[in-house]
Amino acid sequence: MLRVFNTSLFLFVIFMIQELVIARINFPINGFSLYLAALMVVLALEDRSGSLVFGFIGGVILDFSPSADSPLGQWALVLTIIGYLYSINKESIGDFLDSPFLFLLFVSFATALSLSIFLIIGAMLGANNGSFLHNLLLIFANSLWTILLTPLFLPLIIKVRKLLMSNRERI
Amino acid sequence: MARGGGNRSRLLLVLLLVSALFLITLDLRGINLASGVRSAVATVFSPVEKLASKIFSPIGDFTSDLRNFNQSKKRINDLTKEVDLLKSKEVLDEDLVSQVSQLKNLLDLAGRGGYKVVAAKVVNRGPAATFKQTITIDVGSTDGVAKNMTVISDGGLVGVVKSVTSNSSIVLLMSDPTFKVGVRIVGTQGIGVISGQGGDSYLLQLLDATGEIKVGDKLVARGSENGRPYVPGVPVGEVTKVASNASAITQNADVVGFVNIDRVSVVAVVVAPPKSDPRDSLIPRPAPTVTVLVTPTPTPSN
Repeated sequence: MLRVFNTSLFLFVIFMIQELVIARINFPINGFSLYLAALMVVLALEDRSGSLVFGFIGGVILDFSPSADSPLGQWALVLTIIGYLYSINKESIGDFLDSPFLFLLFVSFATALSLSIFLIIGAMLGANNGSFLHNLLLIFANSLWTILLTPLFLPLIIKVRKLLMSNRERI
Repeated sequence: MARGGGNRSRLLLVLLLVSALFLITLDLRGINLASGVRSAVATVFSPVEKLASKIFSPIGDFTSDLRNFNQSKKRINDLTKEVDLLKSKEVLDEDLVSQVSQLKNLLDLAGRGGYKVVAAKVVNRGPAATFKQTITIDVGSTDGVAKNMTVISDGGLVGVVKSVTSNSSIVLLMSDPTFKVGVRIVGTQGIGVISGQGGDSYLLQLLDATGEIKVGDKLVARGSENGRPYVPGVPVGEVTKVASNASAITQNADVVGFVNIDRVSVVAVVVAPPKSDPRDSLIPRPAPTVTVLVTPTPTPSN
């Protein structure tokens, strides 16, 4: 329970950094979502149930974004699905964790996948998110920035996550 | 044991999916949880955003400068001269001077148009994951700002207020792909609709297929009923390319905005429309060229 609270708090802090600092940067083509990248790293490091729970909690936090226009719960649904995909592919993800570069590609792919699922569900709910080509470009740019920038904060996320775990979980 | 764990995971998955779908259903059925929660988050974020704006704006400015390097080079030359002048007058705060200049031009535009405005500072930009191009400004309902009000800067139209909290507002930028505004071509009176394309250029669809449109035509907002969401007469942009297609029902053209959305830092929200339509009076006019006529006089011969 404490771990759920701690990790949720950690995700909320990353969300605040995303909203207050990263969103301020004018990235070429379009932005980089530190929050999504960090959440993908956290989900990859969690166990099966953890991936599901933190996928949902991470989605609810993202649904709180003041500039979001989507129905409350859309991101929660998307990231629960992503959490589920993580949980059923836990063993394969273990292979990625051994190689930092593969892990980066994996995080970038997972970010792109979550954005794509968000768009698909949005389209099913009748949201207008602009042209297909434009969105494809946004997702591509986001993936590119994720590959380039994730190495800068990945060690920090892993370190903070270890600190958030209890002694027993660490063992 | 493993089966028990698997069942628990499946139960958890179903529970979480149902919760997410429940939230979406509530939202879509009009029980507006989202706006309440987001408004509360925005209210909490607002003071932190203002502080973060002061601390982190150099980072945003730096990346913006990298993107607009070519434009920046010319602007740097112009500004260097200006800064030298300002330094000589012992004015040290260049950032403040730039903002004051923008504000002066903005108030001048509002004054000429007869718009009642509330000036605001841009304190944040919307995150990429929302797929919306937005900015956050530091004025809200306590300043008289309400949803669907026009937002302008010194060059012209910037966007429209999308949501409001007590002391901040979120503005949907005209570059957003969902943004649409009715416009009128200055001079010819042809009307059309401009849509955001996600970047610096916009798409103009002329409603009259036989209407005339050419490169260099300037566009102003047509205005909405009671001035909301758009007040009339606000400069929008200039036609840069006309896509002529005889078989098309409407004529299309590429338009570049009068405002560089990436660099805008001071804006104003039009809280009351003008008493009369300013028509084309707000369109930026080219600076008049001075012609000097010299009549040679014969030099007296010795």
